[in-house]
Amino acid sequence: MKTRTTLWKTLALVALLALLLAMPKIARNDYQVRILNMTGLYILISLGLNIAMGYCGQINLAMGAFWAVGAYTAALLNVNFKWPFWLTLPAAMVATAVIGSVVALPSLKVRSHYLAIVTLGLGEVINIILVNEEKITRGAMGIPGIKRPSLFGFVFNSEQKYYYLVLAAVILGYLIARQITRHRFGRAFRAVRDDYVAAKAMGVNIGFYQILAITISAVYAGVAGVLFAHLNTYISPDIFEFRSTLFVLTMTMVGGMGNLLGSLVGGVLVILQEALRTFRDWQLVFYGVAVVLVVLFFPGGVMGIAARWRERQASRLARQADTGEAGNGPSGEAR
Amino acid sequence: MTKTVILVQTIVGGLGIGSIYALVALGYSMVYRSMGLVNFAHGSIYMIGTYFGIIFYKGMVAGLHLPYWAAFIIGVVLTAILGVLLERLFRPLANLDLMLMLLGTIGVGIMLDNLAIIIWGAEGFAVKSPLPSKPILVGGVSLLPQMLLVIGVGTLLMIGLQTFLSRTKVGKAMRAAAQDREIASAMGIPVNFTNAVTFAIGSGLASAAGILAAPIVYVNPAMSAAVGIKGFAAAILGGLGSIPGAIVGGLLFGVIEAISAGFISSAYTKGIAFIIMVLVLMVKPSGIVGETTVEKV
Repeated sequence: MKTRTTLWKTLALVALLALLLAMPKIARNDYQVRILNMTGLYILISLGLNIAMGYCGQINLAMGAFWAVGAYTAALLNVNFKWPFWLTLPAAMVATAVIGSVVALPSLKVRSHYLAIVTLGLGEVINIILVNEEKITRGAMGIPGIKRPSLFGFVFNSEQKYYYLVLAAVILGYLIARQITRHRFGRAFRAVRDDYVAAKAMGVNIGFYQILAITISAVYAGVAGVLFAHLNTYISPDIFEFRSTLFVLTMTMVGGMGNLLGSLVGGVLVILQEALRTFRDWQLVFYGVAVVLVVLFFPGGVMGIAARWRERQASRLARQADTGEAGNGPSGEAR
Repeated sequence: MTKTVILVQTIVGGLGIGSIYALVALGYSMVYRSMGLVNFAHGSIYMIGTYFGIIFYKGMVAGLHLPYWAAFIIGVVLTAILGVLLERLFRPLANLDLMLMLLGTIGVGIMLDNLAIIIWGAEGFAVKSPLPSKPILVGGVSLLPQMLLVIGVGTLLMIGLQTFLSRTKVGKAMRAAAQDREIASAMGIPVNFTNAVTFAIGSGLASAAGILAAPIVYVNPAMSAAVGIKGFAAAILGGLGSIPGAIVGGLLFGVIEAISAGFISSAYTKGIAFIIMVLVLMVKPSGIVGETTVEKV
């Protein structure tokens, strides 16, 4: 029984991977591949947000700003000092980790809606700095001429080629997030989220884990930012609006907070939103209505629905087993 | 101009903008105090409330050019009614955890913002002040009449709110319900009704703030985010759920912004205000006056 389910799981996984690898061929034009690439980047940010908010319960509304820090670090190092992608990536990860841990510091003192406005405010401060430090960031003019990455002479110079880079990043990001959340850190994160007083009493260094969770989420957003900068080859501050943070927040919630698969499922929302574009202005009205409906009726998101369905299935099986035994009992006695 | 004159002028300007923030912050705090709901759609209510009044002043409804005060009253009343409807929608959200509340109310905000764009367009417009645009000189300090109107009406509204809450029967019932929902309803106070009144007043105050600010700022659907976030920051700064806290937080936020714009850097105005807010919260995590809300069961 068990080997059969693992077999099915492996087959499904292989099929999914094949589908993902074939996506650029299935897509009809560059624009569709671009949407897939953006979906991948949003999934990366969402994975980070899921670790901070879903697992550790730390509201982080500065994700857009961390994305910007990653993108700007990469862009500036690439354009000014000709650093290649493989060097700008680790540099940007360090930069976002440092800034992320600074933004995370207030979590030692404040929580819930206070932390929401503090992270939102600090995120805004970062964006204001990017817009106004024109000598470094060129302000609203943005930074053009960022080079596409290359690997052993292979240049990721088209949307289709870049797709594989994004896909690799998403898979790697997911696996790392799974490692983080399944083991010691994950347990500590959940303890902080569920009852920080109890966690503290049990000797969990809650401050350390809160800062760690937010810093990890910042690095995820930073990596997505680097990938975006090298994909778009041009960045300006208006790409990193607070709206993007909200969007990642909704996709994570709709997918399912506290479940990494939720972030992957939430990626579908990015595609869905593009599909709704034909409705123009009404698109965002529908989107708002959909968000409210999800919150009211499916607060666990898609993964929550899946979990509920599995529970119902399990209880039905249990009931069947019960009635089966009950049915056999008396007949056995009668004989 | 001497330094003191500039300083006084800056502070008065700050108090003007601060009154707007305070009126918006009151909406956040009153709703949080009585329902335990953090309403992130409040910025959108502020924006819709502004339009609800200004459309009658600008002749956007059947070419009707009502006087400013009449448009003001109509706008506030319409927005209060909208508030009652929204309270019904938000009631189930009040019992959820913060992240769902955040998302649900943001969803409503997105809905309102985009409906506004569909109805009134995304471009926006400037609004002419009903008062003369020439500054009044008081001892060398030049003051904009509309700014004085904002401060004056804002102060009246805040005093009016305080009187309403402490003197009238409904106001007292609202305070009781905000303190202990269970006991209040056991004593026969219709808690859902007091919550609806709370929402109506909060929305009405936001609309008043928006209509007062309209001649100073530019009116467009995007104004919901900017003032919504600052109003929330002001409410948090003072202590979410506290009425004096919202007023102190709002005025302080406005004055900090004005002083940093006038004396430090106009580009970093908003940034400095946020940083001061963060620093205050680090020292006093529940805001200047302290947080108050219903005990949720």
